[in-house]
This record gives sequence, structure tokens and C-alpha cells, in this order.
Amino acid sequence: MSEKILNKDQIGKFYNEFSDYNFYAPVNEKGNILFKKISNPDEIVLDFLNSKIPPKSVLFPNKEILFEYEYEGKDVIIKERDDLDEKYVLFGVRPCDAYSFQLMANFFSFHGNCEDEIYLKKKENTLIIGMGCNTPKQTCFCTSVGGNPFKKEDSDIFLVDLGEKYLVEAISDKGKELIQKMSWLADATNADKQKAKELAKKAEEMITTQIDAEKINNILDENFKHPIWKEVAESCVGCGTCAFLCPTCTCFDVIEEHDHYTNKGKRIRIWDTCQAPLYSMETSGHNPRPTKIERCRNRIMHKFSYYPKNYDLTGCVGCGRCVSYCPANNDLRSILKEIEQIES
Amino acid sequence: MGLEEDNKKIEESMRETARKLLEDKEVDAVIGYTEGTLPMSSMAMVITRAEDVDKLIWNNYCYINLATYLVPRIAQLVDPEKGDLKVGVISKGCVGRAIIHLKVEGQLNLDNVKIIGIPCNGIIDRKRIEKEIGQKEILEVSTSGNEIIVKGRDFEEKFAFDEYILNVCKQCKVKSPPNVDDACVGECQEIESVSDDYSDLAEFEALSAEEKWNHITELLEQCTKCHACREACPMCYCNLCFVDQNKPIWFGKTTDLSDIIVFHLIRSIHLVGRCVACGACTSVCPMGIDLNLLIRKVERIAKDRFDFTSGLSSKVMPPMMDFSMNDSQEFMLEED
Repeated sequence: MSEKILNKDQIGKFYNEFSDYNFYAPVNEKGNILFKKISNPDEIVLDFLNSKIPPKSVLFPNKEILFEYEYEGKDVIIKERDDLDEKYVLFGVRPCDAYSFQLMANFFSFHGNCEDEIYLKKKENTLIIGMGCNTPKQTCFCTSVGGNPFKKEDSDIFLVDLGEKYLVEAISDKGKELIQKMSWLADATNADKQKAKELAKKAEEMITTQIDAEKINNILDENFKHPIWKEVAESCVGCGTCAFLCPTCTCFDVIEEHDHYTNKGKRIRIWDTCQAPLYSMETSGHNPRPTKIERCRNRIMHKFSYYPKNYDLTGCVGCGRCVSYCPANNDLRSILKEIEQIES
Repeated sequence: MGLEEDNKKIEESMRETARKLLEDKEVDAVIGYTEGTLPMSSMAMVITRAEDVDKLIWNNYCYINLATYLVPRIAQLVDPEKGDLKVGVISKGCVGRAIIHLKVEGQLNLDNVKIIGIPCNGIIDRKRIEKEIGQKEILEVSTSGNEIIVKGRDFEEKFAFDEYILNVCKQCKVKSPPNVDDACVGECQEIESVSDDYSDLAEFEALSAEEKWNHITELLEQCTKCHACREACPMCYCNLCFVDQNKPIWFGKTTDLSDIIVFHLIRSIHLVGRCVACGACTSVCPMGIDLNLLIRKVERIAKDRFDFTSGLSSKVMPPMMDFSMNDSQEFMLEED
């Protein structure tokens, strides 16, 4: 299928084609770009670097009800989620974030051995409209961890910003079917395609941070007790910013909200982070990760050693959010560079 | 004098003091700021050798309150054999105040801490600048005269320093640390009390209860409960924060608006007479929430009701730790 052209003034028309979807797009709320469900295409922000909170928040929200229950005498009536067939479209997802959904799905299925129905169903019902990254930030390093500012494979439809218009390419079968129906989209010219190629090349050249994920994986194996972890934890304040803004962090806590008056309740999952002391606290009172040193180590180990061992992929997409927004400027890029220097 | 020269001067004298303390073995380690890896950032750093003092820097992005690393002590400040090391802390006014207040609360031993005082010239509100620049990447920031110059690809913008420092810095009356119990070296001051008219709060205080509620709701609604504000706060040192307790669960842990507001308001109440107005909470919030309003309000409550300002004395007991028969208790209903 050949590429199409979507003029920026046709975004409203494009949006209307998705009337049976929950349409999520980047919006600007108090200066923060966030993926929110929109009901008016004018809300969409087209000119942005990347969202502050990754679009993982749509499929894996900060707070999510798993099921509700109610007591009837001694019986418990469970009310399962009945909204899992809803369809979602995520518009304007950067390639790093589009790729992150695959990494998250790996966790939520664990090789088919332990499937999280809620996440996987939602993902199946989600259409990702990716958007090439014309100006990656200094903090980006997607090219070192299996990505690329113009990687299209993880999107169903992929857009390239050509200034006044988008080059539209249908990638998946789902995407192709949808684009085929939009007969009003003009065909792209060779000049358009050429311009997209140039933008892709330019964007890739702008990414200056290179890390050797494979080397790091090998070094981490041997250095669980290396003094570097003390150094890494030195300036960390121990908050959860890195995890909450990370597109591949999947950890959650399960809590119960029970109303003793009505005998009804909800079981809820909320985001959690391995940086919190309570995360690894055991019932006995023993905490295997008692200080920031073990907790900071775990975060790096998880992304660059444990995840690769479980799924054969690096558990980081190089979006740079943890680098940009760490309260203590504990820069993941410098940490990885230092790990690379450890003699094996 | 321009900012650059100001900072250079502060930096030089601070390095000199740190060098001397390390050389004379008066301290085992110095905790200070070093160059950050991003524009408008800095990083905390512990040094133990006099030859490393040149790694310490001072600029207007040294927003972390270093006292936060003292309680509980980070591993770098504890020796497996000797126990607590003697630590020099590069201290702008609010860091010094935090250390003194932590001493008052019995959290640290001032014999083990040297406050290396510096005359702070204000911390830039980086979140505000980021917001105003919007969806463009900031690649370089410098100061010239009294201007902050922010540069990126195809843009350059200037911000007036006096206008773009943190609100707490605009109101700050304690720029260099109070000299208490001879714990302070470097630039310190004798200061027993401060006066403040809190005119910046007038607008908020004039609102009706409902308007105040709406204002606070609007302010806090984007909170993700990452707890960066709490972790960066030198006064939030509880082993287990009230919001994390689960035996029993006191407060909801979700990001429902009610849970967010409860967290922030109770945290503010816990800071009455304790907050040292460093503004670290505002500087670290990844969502750019300006917690200044809550900081100023709790500061005012302690000042108005108890004439108390935290971190100025090691002798005066803070209102939440003390009791007096004369305490105002107009909220008590008279018995007939």
C-alpha cells in the first residue's frame, strides 16, 4: 500500500474516522503534554517533543480497578470488568513509546505463562498511530536499545511530520484497512517520501548518546556487589519519578477499597516503584533491599540484566524521561557509561 | 555586581573553607553540589579528599536541600567501623536552617556536622522557565548581569533573574545560615527572628473557603504520587510516612483527587513550624506543581500563632514539640 498525505488542517476529518474508538492524543495541560481522551480534535497538540507521562498511562493507568465485589450474606459476588472490549486509538505516539507497549506486554504475559487479561485485552483493542521524532532530545538514546526515531514497526499507522502535512503509512493489517477506507487521503508524491527519508536520517544523526546494552548486560552479571552501586545511589533522593515516567515500568501494588457500611469493595492496582522501601518489605519485617543502594541497583539490573535474560530484549526504550526529570539529576546515561567502564 | 562574579566568589570561598576543613581533619567528608549533566541542574556529591574540592560548585540551580542526605544518613556518610562520619555540609541559608531544626528534633548531633555557610543569592525556578519555553528543548543556560539566558535549537530567550527565582527565595530573609552552637563556618549570621508581612499570601487568603478549595484542587490535580516532594524534603524523614502505612491504612493510596489532596494537606500540616522554606519540593516536582503556596501558608501559621521561625535557634522549642499554658486556644469551647 502506498503512502498517503494528511494535511494538518484535515486532522478533524481524520479524527472523525475513529468515532467508535476512545481517541487518546497529546494535549497540553498546565504546560505538561499528556495523553488524554479527547472529544474535540482541536485539543490535540501537534508540535511537541514527547509527552511527560508516557502513553502507557492509557493501557496501564496509575489507578485501575481490577474488579468490584459485594457481599450477599456469606457469598461474595464478583463483578468483573465489562469494558474490556472498548477500542482505543493512541494518536501521536513516539516510536520509543510505541515500542514500549511490546516490552510491557511481555511482562503482562510472561511467555504465555501468566497472562494479565486486562492489559492484554486492552492492548489488543488499541490502535497505535505513531509519529516520527524529527527532533530527538539530547537525553534520547533509542538507537542503542532497539529503537530508532523513525521506527514504524510498532505502530499500526505511522505519521511523519513534513511541516504543513503528514506522510501517512499504514503498517499493520488493522492500519491498512483503516487507511484504505479513508479514500479522501491524497497520495504522497516522491518528493514527500524523499523528504521523510531525509528527516529520518537527520533525526538519527541527532542522537549522540550511544550505549552498549549487550556489554552492560554482561558486566552486570559479574558486578552485583561492585562499589559503583554506592556511587549510583549517592545523590538519589529515593522518589518514584523515574519509574512513574518510565514507559516500560510495569510494577504495581494491589490495594483494596472496602466500604464497611455497604459491604461492597473494589480491588485496585496502583503504580508502585522498586525505589520505595515498602516495595520490597516482607511480612516478617525483613527488607532484602534495605537502602537506596540496593534499590538503585535493582532498577538498573531490571532494565539491563533481568529483563534481557527473560525476554531477550533490553528493558529500556531510551526515551530519556528519567534522565530529564530525575529530581536529583541522577543521569541514567552517565550511570550506564560508568558501568561500561568496569573492567570485567 | 553580576551573578557570574557573585557565584564565582561564593564558590571560591566555599571551596577554601571545605579544603581547610578536610585538610585539618575537622571533617571526614563534605557534601556539596557538583555540576549537573543537564542545563538548569546540579547534583549532590560527597567528597572526602581535599584535592577534590574543586569539584564543588555553586550556581543558581543548587536547588536540592543537602540536609535531606543527613537524616537518615546516606551510606557515604557512615563508616562501617567508626560509625557516623563528621560531615561538612555546603549550606545556603535554608540548608543551615534545616540542619539546626533537625538538631532540635533530635535527629542529628551537631558535633558531627559542620555547616559551611554560603550567602545564597537565590535559586532559579527552573520549572517555571521550562513551562514558559514550552515544547522546545533547552540546550544551554547561562547568566549575564542580572539575566538568565536560555538557548536551544533556533531560539534564545532572556529572563529577569529577580523575577524568575523561586517564590520562597523572593521572600527569603535568611540567605546565609544562622550561626548556632558554633556549628557554622564560612559565611554565617547572627539572626534571632525575622519579620515578614506575608503580603504574597494576601490574594489567596482573601478567597472564600470554596474558592480556596478550588484553587488547591486545581494546583494539585496533576500529582502522580511519585513522592519526590516528600523525599527531597529535609523534614520528611519518617521511616514510614502516614500515607504509606498499611496497618491500618489511614489514607487512600490512589491518585484520586481526594487521596492526592489529603496527602499534600496533611504533609503541609506536618510541616507547620518545621518547613525551612527551601523550595526543594517545588524544584523537584516532575509535573511542575508549585508547592510554594502550601509552604508559605504553614510558615505563616507558625509565625503568627507562635512567633516561631524554624531553624534559627537550637534552644527554642518548635510549637509542635512544646506546650505552654498561655498558648492561644480560641478554638476551645467555653464550658458554661
